[in-house]
Amino acid sequence: MMHKVMAFFNKPEGAAYIFLLPSLLVFAVFLILPLIVSLIMGAFSLDIFLNKITFAGISNFQKVLTDERFWNALKNTVYFTVVEMPLHVLVALLVALYVQKNTFFRKFVRSVCFVPVVCSLTAMGIVWSMLLDPSLGMYPYLLRMAGLPGVGFLKDPSLAMPSIIMMTVWKNFGFSMVILVAGLQGIPDTYYEAAKIDGANSWRQFCNITVPLLIPTLEFCMITNTIGNLQVFDQVYVMTQGGPLFRTETLVQYIYNRGFIIAPYDLGYASAIAEMLFVMIAIITLAMYRFFIKKETADV
Amino acid sequence: MEPKKPLPIGRIILIMIALVLLIAVLFPFIWLFLASFKFDNEIIQYPPSLFPNRFTFLQYLKVWDSIPLLRFCLNTVIFAGSATLLSVLFDSMAGYAFARINFKGKNILFALVMITMMVPFQVIMIPLFIEVFKLGLLNNYLGLILPRATSAFGIFMMRSFFVSLPKELEEAARIDGLNEYRIYGSIMLPLCKPALLTLIVFHFMNNWNDLLYPLMLTSSTEMRTLSAGLAMFVGQRVIEYGPTLAAAVISILPLLMVYLISQKYFIQGIATTGMKN
Repeated sequence: MMHKVMAFFNKPEGAAYIFLLPSLLVFAVFLILPLIVSLIMGAFSLDIFLNKITFAGISNFQKVLTDERFWNALKNTVYFTVVEMPLHVLVALLVALYVQKNTFFRKFVRSVCFVPVVCSLTAMGIVWSMLLDPSLGMYPYLLRMAGLPGVGFLKDPSLAMPSIIMMTVWKNFGFSMVILVAGLQGIPDTYYEAAKIDGANSWRQFCNITVPLLIPTLEFCMITNTIGNLQVFDQVYVMTQGGPLFRTETLVQYIYNRGFIIAPYDLGYASAIAEMLFVMIAIITLAMYRFFIKKETADV
Repeated sequence: MEPKKPLPIGRIILIMIALVLLIAVLFPFIWLFLASFKFDNEIIQYPPSLFPNRFTFLQYLKVWDSIPLLRFCLNTVIFAGSATLLSVLFDSMAGYAFARINFKGKNILFALVMITMMVPFQVIMIPLFIEVFKLGLLNNYLGLILPRATSAFGIFMMRSFFVSLPKELEEAARIDGLNEYRIYGSIMLPLCKPALLTLIVFHFMNNWNDLLYPLMLTSSTEMRTLSAGLAMFVGQRVIEYGPTLAAAVISILPLLMVYLISQKYFIQGIATTGMKN
């Protein structure tokens, strides 16, 4: 018996389960279990001290659908994601195309662009909100010096979200850039050499070699970035706390506010919103995945 | 050797754009470092100036007096270091299984891992807190480290790197009679060194910078990490710009140093993953 078990775990298939065991265990205990508890919590009404627990059924979810602040937060989150993701990937791609060659200067640019990624969003949020302060900040001052009208940035309801997007692109594009550089450098030189022999100019090489071979890397950047963007919290929390006029209140910020800031700290209601966010992220990610996989098989 | 050509106009424009990019990326850091050496009245003066009129370490002294920085650093190193090492090991094991082995339930398990990546931390935050508390792990290193001992992103990433390795590698190894653990440990893992280094830096960075997570799972001051401790400090005196800036510098400085030392491995390492031919 023992021998058979040992033999099974020596086979590739058995070994696979051993390899997966630690990760799956951690996921089960510290992620799946809390997730299930949270799902149950969405059906209850309870406060932060775990008092006044009453069964709420689906009433929390019904309440969410008629909650104007939820729809506002959803709109802001989608706005942030839809603008930040393409901008982020575009900037990352353009910079990656430039810095992919290993010259001293380009390597230096590459290293510098990654510096904001290393630093915490909290610290950088503090720095940016001071830099963008309409009365004391360096950026509005420089704009005024350049003869442009004063800009309120984070204090201006219609500019607050674009300001946060700008800061987020600055903070994060270096990450995708490094991944894209890796993707670009992973394309074998022989392809380009063959193309050159066939007389393809550099634009043709870019369209017919670089782009198709970079698509998996681009997909990776787009999907992970979208998932992260839908969960945006830190920079909003530090820079605007959802204001002005709730114009930057994202879903996670609203969940946080509902659970921890606004009395009666309704954790059940906060959980209900969180679950809707989770379902939304899952659907969008799967849709993106399906879309890309279809394209991949179509390309072949 | 090709003869040296004069710089074409296109290249000059490109270099100009690169310089603008460099300034745009670095300016907030330059401003932060310089402003942290200013006196309070200079920080809030108008018009703002980049360089301080008089240099002072006052803001740093204020931070040093108010919070146990050394303790925070120690906590952060223990937490971020252990969580990183465990996670990289477990991620690579799981990534390897998903990439190179066919087994029952593979697709379902991989989908499950992908789904965990989509769970916003805020969804599981409260139950996780309650669970860690019930396990008696609240306010100690184990409670901080264990939930971070693996990550879906790491598994996803390691899988991508393992997938790119040629099939002949393990076929040859199997013919030589190596079992799966040896193939993973002595053939595949060494080939993935650049990817592993990348993941180490990535996890270390995330754990170091994380705010909400350590804030939630620690309650006593002596268990706080750097970012959580500083956030607490900033939260207590929101108005004082000076110490806040000094605190921001202190919180990013260690990671910046790690980055300066290891960035060569990181940025170049990620590029040369797998066998390029």
